[in-house]
Amino acid sequence: MATPILEVEKLTKYFGGLAAVKDVSFAVPEQHIYGFIGPNGAGKTTLFNMIAGALEPSAGHIRSRGKDVTGHRPFSLVKSGIARTHQIVCPFRAMTVLENVQVAAHFGRKNITRTAAARDHARQVLAWVGLDHQADTLAANISLGDQKRLELARALATDPELLLCDEICGGLNPKETRAMLDLLERIRQNGTTIMYVEHDVKAIMAVCDHVMVLNYGQKLAEGKPEEIQNDPAVIEAYLGKAGSQKKGSRPVA
Amino acid sequence: MTTAVFAPSRLEARARLVLPGLLLVVLALLPTAGLTPNLIRLLFITFVWVTASLGWNLLGGFTGQVSFGFAVFYGLGAYTAALMIDRGVNPYLSFLGAALIPALASFFIGLPTFRLRGPYFAIATIGVSEATRVIMNNLAITGGASGFRIVEHRPFRQVDHYYTALAMAALAVAVSFLIQHSKFGMGLRAIKQDEEAAADLGVNPYAYKLAIHAVAAALTGMAGGVFARYAAFIYPQGVFSFQTSVYILLMPVIGGIGTVWGAVLGGVVFGMVEEQLVANFPQIHLLLYGSLLILIILAEPDGLAGLLGKLFRRLRTPR
Ligand SMILES: Nc1ncnc2c1ncn2[C@@H]1O[C@H](COP(=O)(O)OP(=O)(O)OP(=O)(O)O)[C@@H](O)[C@H]1O
Ligand SMILES: [Mg+2]
Repeated sequence: MATPILEVEKLTKYFGGLAAVKDVSFAVPEQHIYGFIGPNGAGKTTLFNMIAGALEPSAGHIRSRGKDVTGHRPFSLVKSGIARTHQIVCPFRAMTVLENVQVAAHFGRKNITRTAAARDHARQVLAWVGLDHQADTLAANISLGDQKRLELARALATDPELLLCDEICGGLNPKETRAMLDLLERIRQNGTTIMYVEHDVKAIMAVCDHVMVLNYGQKLAEGKPEEIQNDPAVIEAYLGKAGSQKKGSRPVA
Repeated sequence: MTTAVFAPSRLEARARLVLPGLLLVVLALLPTAGLTPNLIRLLFITFVWVTASLGWNLLGGFTGQVSFGFAVFYGLGAYTAALMIDRGVNPYLSFLGAALIPALASFFIGLPTFRLRGPYFAIATIGVSEATRVIMNNLAITGGASGFRIVEHRPFRQVDHYYTALAMAALAVAVSFLIQHSKFGMGLRAIKQDEEAAADLGVNPYAYKLAIHAVAAALTGMAGGVFARYAAFIYPQGVFSFQTSVYILLMPVIGGIGTVWGAVLGGVVFGMVEEQLVANFPQIHLLLYGSLLILIILAEPDGLAGLLGKLFRRLRTPR
């Protein structure tokens, strides 16, 4: 088997006495969409924060294509091809949508120096995610759905090999969700590997090749979507309650 | 409602150079129009303040890092130029020294504090600034608190000083615009708005803050050096005073923080009124600045430039 694009080994994060993530290990094969589900506070965002370099792990290792990148800072991880979107959107509100993406074009793996060239690249990415009509609007003035799309556009403009998406469908209606999932599928077909956190279990099951269930910071189960859906432990702890009725999780077509 | 901001075309970009170019020509011709020495002096001082204002604006306005300690750079620049000229170094060469030494000094403040989250940098700038003043008050080679007299063995020609200061202010404007419209400037804007988000897109906030701090210090230091040569006498209580730091911060805030022309405007207004205020209201002139500052923050956070922009738009929109 080829080296996985990302390997995580016994990754652990303590906040004071609370183990937000504990001894989580997994490997993400290239060009997979690798999903993570779990109840609120299960540690999904904390896991992403460690992989993207926003938080330093308390213990454990992260390897990107075999190279140890544990504790690396976000800006150097971007240069090694790891980009992320934020569960809580954080656009540069006083910049236009285009300028937001331009920053990523300048400082991502493409490392474009000329502003005109960075703008061109940003325009292409915006067209690709279907946000070009908002290019010259201030990021503060676009809808939440568009801000989620902007998160994705910015991350994509850094030219990542591995993209971490944290709840990019959160707060979207079913139609917008469907469009976002299509976009994820297209990104993967373009050769980018995706790690994907979402509360919407149906969305996860629809697009992911592999799914991990987190509960209280620990791995509860992992496997193919159909395996997960039939796993008694998962049904007991999570799916049984969350799969059908849970607030905020909408069925997808 | 959405706000549309249109990218300027190439022609527009060129048109933008016309006005500053014209301004520069007019300012360059002014001394030949028979200005009084006092007016030339006032303009000279104004160019010095404009340069310092633009320097602070790079860090405070472009990057969002508020410093209360730019007197350190102004003072270091002044003393560097003074010592070099005193040793017979060509004054124009001494201005390079006046830029370089403060740029190096900026790392002493930035290296330990830019890594920290929160107001550590702003607080540290006050501490370092006061400590520097105390040290300079007691430093023997510069004459300590009693000051330093610069003896330059060449005739004093006021217009030389005028043109030096004008060229320096023009340089500061050019540097500001070049940075603003570059990759570097995009990184700074991103840092100002959201440091974490910027880092997630590949910007190294620590390195960028250190770099722009050094550029800002260099411009401010050069302003101090050019001023020192003209004044021919400097003392720590003047150039290194907390008041000087406040002045340098105040100008871009009055004029319009974060924009190049705002910082210029702030420097011009300040340069023109400062002496009058000090002369006419010696007791309360600082109070006046304080009140003005509060007024601007409350009523027009974009400063005079923002106010003028609004007026201009209102005049242009037909009713
Ligand atoms: N910076 C922090 N400091 C202290 N505790 C934190 C911090 N970040 C997260 N936590 C805690 O760690 C646990 C995991 O939080 P995390 O945000 O990773 O969960 P999540 O799975 O992303 O939840 P959600 O589905 O609500 O987004 C929670 O108990 C949370 O309160
Ligand atoms: Mg989360």
